[in-house]
Amino acid sequence: MECMSLLGVGACAPDAEFRASLPFPAFDINRETIPPLLRRRSSQAMQMAFSVATAACEQAQRSPTTLPTIFASVAGEIRTTDQICTELVKADGVISPAAFHNSVQNTVAGYWSIAQQCIQPATALAAGSDTLAMALLEAWCQLSCEGGELLLVCYDEVWPGYLAPGSGNPAFAYALLLAAGTVDGRLMHIGRPQVGEIIFPASWTNSVNSMPILAAIPLLEAALTGRMPQAVALTSHTPGWQVNVGGYE
Amino acid sequence: MTITPLISPVVVTAYQCVSAAGDDVEALYARLLANQTCLKPLTLFAIPFDTLVGEVTSVLPAIRSSLQAYDCRNARLALKALNQGGFRADVERAIANYGAARVGLILGTSTSGIYDSENAYARLLEDGVMPSDFHFTKVQTAQATAEFLQLELGLQGPCYAISTACSSSAKALAAAQRLLNSDCCDAVLVAGVDSLCRLTLRGFNSLQLISTEACRPMDAGRQGINIGEGAALLLLEKPYAENADRPRLLAVGESSDAHHMSAPHPDGVGAATAMAQALRLAGRDLSEVDYINLHATASTLNDLSEARAVGSLFANPPPCSGVKGLLGHTLGAAGAVETVVSLLALERGFLPGTCGLRDPDPECGFTVVAAPDLQVSPRLILSNAFGFGGNNASVLLEAA
Repeated sequence: MECMSLLGVGACAPDAEFRASLPFPAFDINRETIPPLLRRRSSQAMQMAFSVATAACEQAQRSPTTLPTIFASVAGEIRTTDQICTELVKADGVISPAAFHNSVQNTVAGYWSIAQQCIQPATALAAGSDTLAMALLEAWCQLSCEGGELLLVCYDEVWPGYLAPGSGNPAFAYALLLAAGTVDGRLMHIGRPQVGEIIFPASWTNSVNSMPILAAIPLLEAALTGRMPQAVALTSHTPGWQVNVGGYE
Repeated sequence: MTITPLISPVVVTAYQCVSAAGDDVEALYARLLANQTCLKPLTLFAIPFDTLVGEVTSVLPAIRSSLQAYDCRNARLALKALNQGGFRADVERAIANYGAARVGLILGTSTSGIYDSENAYARLLEDGVMPSDFHFTKVQTAQATAEFLQLELGLQGPCYAISTACSSSAKALAAAQRLLNSDCCDAVLVAGVDSLCRLTLRGFNSLQLISTEACRPMDAGRQGINIGEGAALLLLEKPYAENADRPRLLAVGESSDAHHMSAPHPDGVGAATAMAQALRLAGRDLSEVDYINLHATASTLNDLSEARAVGSLFANPPPCSGVKGLLGHTLGAAGAVETVVSLLALERGFLPGTCGLRDPDPECGFTVVAAPDLQVSPRLILSNAFGFGGNNASVLLEAA
């Protein structure tokens, strides 16, 4: 496989001030993307992930029912997990069955497959500060081995402050609808993630170091504005993972 | 009929396992043949109900001081497995052969180091802050033990965790095969690691799935599941003449139920799809499967869903059995642990029994192997792992 084609993209930043500071258009959570029965109990992570996944599918005019998925997140359902861990400390603490099955890393992947009636494989992935890079590499490998198209969604909700002081804020999510090879109507080409010397934009380094999921800012800026360098950094470390982009149509 | 494979086989050049059934693969093999449960009362911490667990009670090694931030029970279990039976030397040989940047690492885990986080939360409740030596991203997040193993071994290739509940490490094998097939790596270390913690024990208890006795998969009198812990490591490489004598991973079939977060589809549709997909990707026929290592957790819904999946796919199902009555349900590690069990069956020529099976559930519809069978040498094995979110994976292995 020579490259992947980006067919649809969406970015969600619930904090309006942070959203306004981004160098590309992002939107607030769209709760209409979550089926009413799931909406009340859904985490911020799930609300963001559903919002961007729906937007990327709509832009690419693809049905979510037929797409394999990769959901990537540094901390997953951290607020639900935090609530359970707080209960576990108490002698009379109670864990509800729903809170338990909603605490797994693949909660969003599971609910997305149920909501979309999608029986395709769903993966949930985490890789710390390399989460975006490894999610793109997993997407590359799936498309390279099996062809077709898939939906990649990265997200992190706000982490409870005491877990990692100074980290885990602001919440952010994005979705990339990717196809194997060169496809008509693409927003851009994305190459195979590799380790290189591209330096991450200094103005965003501090933000990314405290919220690793923000590492997609240069990639999203290229995809959503068409301002296309030859390569973008996928992590704030140098050397680190990067990816060639181009082929804007 | 020969079908063209859609994915190339990779070779399992080394494997190791630490579980309640022993500290290495030799101990595991002996326990598989003995078929006596290794499940015992929990000693690690107190829980407010009765059950048996698959706890690793032998001494776990200390984490070296330079990697102290990663210290947790999960990392120690992984390190223990790494140090068994020359496995570390096999990884070092791969690094020497291919270079550290060409050796990848994929971890499958469900709860990572949450056991140690739970202990930190007890301090949070008392002091209002987490202990100063608690490192959230190096202990609790899913990739923590992957990052620890990467640093411990000096690997520089791709490194990530897959966390899809109880199918995690079976799907890690799938991701590893793809890294090799797409030439992103020359070798990949796959680790399935999960440790006992309050969250899973009390969580499964809230779902009313925990058994007070040693679990009895596929038995009419089953009462539920037992939670276990373990670390299984597998080294995957591309096929070469020099490793032609080693067993192969042919493919991993994956699917989603799209049905319910914590209950499988009652007809086993997703499970059947995963098994069929493994065979399709490998270009193999149903009739070639010699043995199925069942997920078989001993929850009634899970067991019967899987039985229906097998029954719907195979006109004459091959011998099937499950090992969770022996060493418990190791959750995110189960896919890798039971792939190791299946590799032992392939390499040493036997069918594992179903520890705890006394009165087979007539609803199952086919014969489940109760006692180990040393007269059969399977060559092609499916090993199933299914998780929350309706996340299914089936691993297809072949003897050398």
